[in-house]
Amino acid sequence: MTNSKNEILTSINHEGLGKQPWWVEQWMELINSYKYKKRLERAWTYAREGKVLSILFEGRRVHARVQGTDNEPYKVKLWLDVLIEEDWKFVLEALAEKASWTAQLLAGIMPSDIERAFAASGKRLFPFKLEEIKSECSCPDKANPCKHISAIYFLMGERFKEDPFVLFQLRGCGRETLLKDLAEKRKEILLELKSKQQIQSKQNIKSPPRKMTKNNPSSFWTYESNLHQDLVVIAPSIDEDTGIESAGNIPLAEEPLYPNAQKQFISELKNHCQQSAHRAMIKAMSKDN
Amino acid sequence: MSLLHATWLPGRSTSSGPEKPALLIWADTWRISKSVKTRDTPSWNPFTLKTNELKEWLLEKKLSPKSIRETSASLTLPSKELNTQGRNNSKITENFAWEGLPLIAGEIIPDDCQWWPWRVDGLAIPTNEIGDWLAKLPLSGKHPDLGDELKWWCHLERWRLSLIARGRWLPQVEIWNNENLSTKARWVPLFNKEEDRQKLEIFAAQLPQVTTCAEPWHKIEKCNEDTKYSSNLLKHTKYNPIASKRPLNNRFKVAGFVEELIDAQLRESFTPNSQGLDPMLKEWQKALGNSTDNISLPEQDLKRLRIASQHWKNSISAQFTTARTCLELLTPDINENLWELNFFLQAQADPSLKIHASRVWESDIKNLTLGEITIENPGEILLEGLGRSISIFPPIERGLDSANPTSMMLTAEEAFIFIRTAASNLRDYGVGVELPNTLSGGLASRLGIEIIAELENSSKGATLGEILNWEWGLMIGGVKLSISELERLANKKSPLLKHKNTWIELRKNDLKNAKKFIEKPTSLSLDDAIRLTAAEGETLEHLPVHQFRPGPRLQNVLEKYHQKTTPDAIPAPEGFIGQLRPYQEKGVGWLAFLYRFDQGSCLADDMGLGKTIQLLAFLQYLKKENELKRPILLIAPTSILTNWRREAKAFTPELNIFEHYGSNRPSDIKNLEKAIQISNLVITSYGIIQRDLSMLSSFKWQGIIIDEAQAIKNPSSKQSLAIRQIAKKIKTNGFKIALTGTPIENKVNEIWALMDFLNPKVLGEQNFFNQRYRLPIERYGDISSLRDLKARVQPFILRRLKTDKTIISDLPDKVELNEWVNLSQEQENLYREVVDKTIKEIASAPLGSKHGKILGLLTKLKQICNHPALALKENNINEKFILRSGKLQRLDQILEELIVGDDKAILFTQFSEWGLLLQKYLQKRFSCEVPFLYGATTKNSRQEMVDQFQQDPRGPKLFLLSLKAGGLGLNLTKANHVFHLDRWWNPAVENQATDRAYRIGQENRVMVHKFITIGSVEEKIHSMILSKSKLANEIIGSGEDWLGKLDIKDIKRLVSLDKS
Repeated sequence: MTNSKNEILTSINHEGLGKQPWWVEQWMELINSYKYKKRLERAWTYAREGKVLSILFEGRRVHARVQGTDNEPYKVKLWLDVLIEEDWKFVLEALAEKASWTAQLLAGIMPSDIERAFAASGKRLFPFKLEEIKSECSCPDKANPCKHISAIYFLMGERFKEDPFVLFQLRGCGRETLLKDLAEKRKEILLELKSKQQIQSKQNIKSPPRKMTKNNPSSFWTYESNLHQDLVVIAPSIDEDTGIESAGNIPLAEEPLYPNAQKQFISELKNHCQQSAHRAMIKAMSKDN
Repeated sequence: MSLLHATWLPGRSTSSGPEKPALLIWADTWRISKSVKTRDTPSWNPFTLKTNELKEWLLEKKLSPKSIRETSASLTLPSKELNTQGRNNSKITENFAWEGLPLIAGEIIPDDCQWWPWRVDGLAIPTNEIGDWLAKLPLSGKHPDLGDELKWWCHLERWRLSLIARGRWLPQVEIWNNENLSTKARWVPLFNKEEDRQKLEIFAAQLPQVTTCAEPWHKIEKCNEDTKYSSNLLKHTKYNPIASKRPLNNRFKVAGFVEELIDAQLRESFTPNSQGLDPMLKEWQKALGNSTDNISLPEQDLKRLRIASQHWKNSISAQFTTARTCLELLTPDINENLWELNFFLQAQADPSLKIHASRVWESDIKNLTLGEITIENPGEILLEGLGRSISIFPPIERGLDSANPTSMMLTAEEAFIFIRTAASNLRDYGVGVELPNTLSGGLASRLGIEIIAELENSSKGATLGEILNWEWGLMIGGVKLSISELERLANKKSPLLKHKNTWIELRKNDLKNAKKFIEKPTSLSLDDAIRLTAAEGETLEHLPVHQFRPGPRLQNVLEKYHQKTTPDAIPAPEGFIGQLRPYQEKGVGWLAFLYRFDQGSCLADDMGLGKTIQLLAFLQYLKKENELKRPILLIAPTSILTNWRREAKAFTPELNIFEHYGSNRPSDIKNLEKAIQISNLVITSYGIIQRDLSMLSSFKWQGIIIDEAQAIKNPSSKQSLAIRQIAKKIKTNGFKIALTGTPIENKVNEIWALMDFLNPKVLGEQNFFNQRYRLPIERYGDISSLRDLKARVQPFILRRLKTDKTIISDLPDKVELNEWVNLSQEQENLYREVVDKTIKEIASAPLGSKHGKILGLLTKLKQICNHPALALKENNINEKFILRSGKLQRLDQILEELIVGDDKAILFTQFSEWGLLLQKYLQKRFSCEVPFLYGATTKNSRQEMVDQFQQDPRGPKLFLLSLKAGGLGLNLTKANHVFHLDRWWNPAVENQATDRAYRIGQENRVMVHKFITIGSVEEKIHSMILSKSKLANEIIGSGEDWLGKLDIKDIKRLVSLDKS
């Protein structure tokens, strides 16, 4: 919903950035702080021309392949400083204290005040300076970031949009671990609170008795219901809230070489939606004979 | 009779590639079968049609699918174990074999039944053709060839169409965990709208398990016979296990079906333009339109696509989980301003299963049991739902400030937004919402009225249009509201208001309607009162009626209308010869009640409960009360006119009867008036009505009665039009009564004409009726329209069944009914001709051959009474066949009634030629199988006929037997009707035959129908048996010796046709 409300526009086009989730914007700002504007521009062109062949998140690293002047694509590796276990402890504690953070992450949204959870450890989730992004490229260019690396920078922001847990992963804590640790932490906090309030935590929580409902054998063959009222007349919804309309854009980073690909993909789906809806209604009415 | 079934056949991968899921159609049928042993692989189900039989049968029924793929499957079916002896004392050895039979649909499934897999052959309909095939089948009603579950499939198909019409789907990229992991492009339905969520639960709750009991059949490779048995066992168990299929969660099954069907449909018609797509989207798009749904892309791209498509979908729809987050809003306490919002986890399957967030946090992190379901990672599900709620209702974020949030407080403004807009958005988003009752948006939370009403002082509540004395008051959320209070509240301009400690919501529209109503209240008629009390949720002038409080006298009248209290019973009136059973007294009382109210009534009691008697008692009651002023017109089928006259003569001799029938009937109004001057009841036939319409409709009748009222069911038939034309002329103080034995209220297409006859106001004009009721109900089985229709007609129809508890206690176990029938003109002519000719012959015959001649004559006459074709040795059955015999016409009527009522009957005749003719006729007439057991039937097929009649739940409803072959030794207790089509001299023989069906202590009540042709030898035999005359005594118990002793005068008296 946030996505569709905030109207994500394609990030890389000739006009530059559209409205983005804040964390993507923050990332782009970071890149734009780079002082060698010329190189940045070249990297921008690279990215737009689709020279970046693949970007892969593997554990704490980003592996990418960029087609440069050489026949073989260059291999680019990117990584951030990983938080040590000690730091994560602080972060987890802070994260768990406020359920809305976990709630939003689970719902696919990066909380706007997430850095507050990291403040306790003195660390950050987002890199503050460009230097914090470590990188290697197999190209002969000595400068770092080279244009290949910079090209990746541009595309990374989009990739965060696909999954807010990616940044946590780069910082050393994958989704599964994070969620499990958070659940345990929450429990810890709860128990602490309970003992503080001197509430008997011994009190066993019994789940409601397990009802064993046998499959009623007489329902094996029988169905005696009438058609549900809503299904009597089959009509399109008046709100025009088809799945395609309301889902908005696919959170998929755009391939720079094909700037209209998603638009095209979705418009074909919308066509299909209309036509199949029309056919379905005709079919439903032809029942009338 | 075979019954078609449809079971989902899951897909699988085989060595020759993947096999897609399909709908398996197969048919079960009753057969004689020995018990079947099952050892190492499921046995073939003996009660199913072989593939060839099935194909033929489908062709005949016009149900063949477009493309045909023959297949087999292993179906887990309820089964009964037979021959358990071997099992109890010996250990289960390697050679152990289970022995038994599957049950077929319709057989009662005992609680402790066993479940065994059976091999079933059938046809597989591919997923993309299922919809078209289902479209051929009816959406409502019972169909004799179709199992119940086909209707379930049809309804599911309807839901699928609705999902597609509303575009409730998205393409997805999914990992499929079959033999080698593959990534597929799929079209998946979105179930997040509250209405679809509910539908999923309803479909799951009502799922007939037969739809899901199949596993694909694995062909067993030819095994070497020398191989040791045990290795065989291993091999087979691997392929077609003899373990029964475990039921999965119904919701997942239903969701899976819909997903397969949606995918098949959308895939088939997807022919997109792929220009300008990047390779990844291009591949995805391609795989969405392909018949093979695999996407071929590098691993990492697949993963990206998969995650992106998932997030895409999650942005509008919750994950499909067993539980969801639920938000419950509570109203503030007194003197408080803040509203409490509580967090819960709620089972998807049963919204009443809820667990508060505080308990979720206390529970195990991994699993939480809620009722029958286990929720994995409950805390995450709860948080995820809350997280998504934030984007719809941002104030929630405030409530998630702690580690283990359980509830939060909302301001009044926030609460209002929550109720008015957020609640429904949240629901569509997969978050449950519960609002305080008075604010939940239902009818109760709306501004409405309460009504207090009573009849006018002088009124008895006898006319529908009459105006009631009434008062009304405003009401909302169960609380009364004065007009000034409403004005005060409306002026506050706040949508959420507290009134008398209840929170209410005033909506603009309701206020507008209320204002209109207050300024100009309508009047309230008795019709309104009946309507408002018939069902919940009725409105008056667009305002919901929250309460209707009738005064005692009105209450009394309404209860009788709604048949909540029976009208006072009327005991047999003076002058009525005979006794009324208690339920009959009530029936007479009911007729009198509606008569007093000037309403037409339809007495639709089950056959054999004595509708005729109740009506005659009612007429006698009117006569005694001096209310019979003018003649009453009674219309009945020709075949039972005489029956009416005889019954009337027997029970109500004081009534003057005039039969308006035959060629000598009055032909103009003057003669008619003269002829019926002193008559109370004028009896005529449906045929005459059409011929004498202008004359009969110009007479001023006091009342009109139609027997076998289904005769007017077709509104545009001449017959129906004629009857209704006469009925419309009957005004106040007249009455209209319809008698029928068929359950008329269930036949929407037939009820309009009946109500138009009885009370035209109730259902309105035919066009209106068709639009409002018939179309929605017949085409779509619309339940709310049906309920409304029933509520409207129910006050005017009284139907009691033989099986009603209150009736059973009033009825004996065996009810004997004499069916008096007339001869047709052809029968009459033939009868006279034969008598005249043969009497002469007998008179002049030598003594030795006289006996034989008499016997021959009697036989011939009895044959004529059955049907001229029998006497003339014809065997051609054409359209006129039924018209040629009065007896057959009557039989036809009764059989139609009992077939509709799901009864079973055995029919005895002494003439096997008649049995054969009748068999042909009945099979054609009722399009069903009618077995005939007679002398020429072999011993084996005799047993088969009897077994099928007794055991097959869908077996024949009619069973013909010759008196000689079937009169003894057979057990036919499934029958609840016995027909003696022709009479036998000896009642003992008839009784023995009757006892085939009637056994002491059996549960069925048995109706014994004896046909007696009026005026003929049959009637004479009948009265002789009754009179117990000397002659009768001789007849009874002796052979046919007495015939020889008759002199010619006796013979003449016995055989000649009396015209009464």
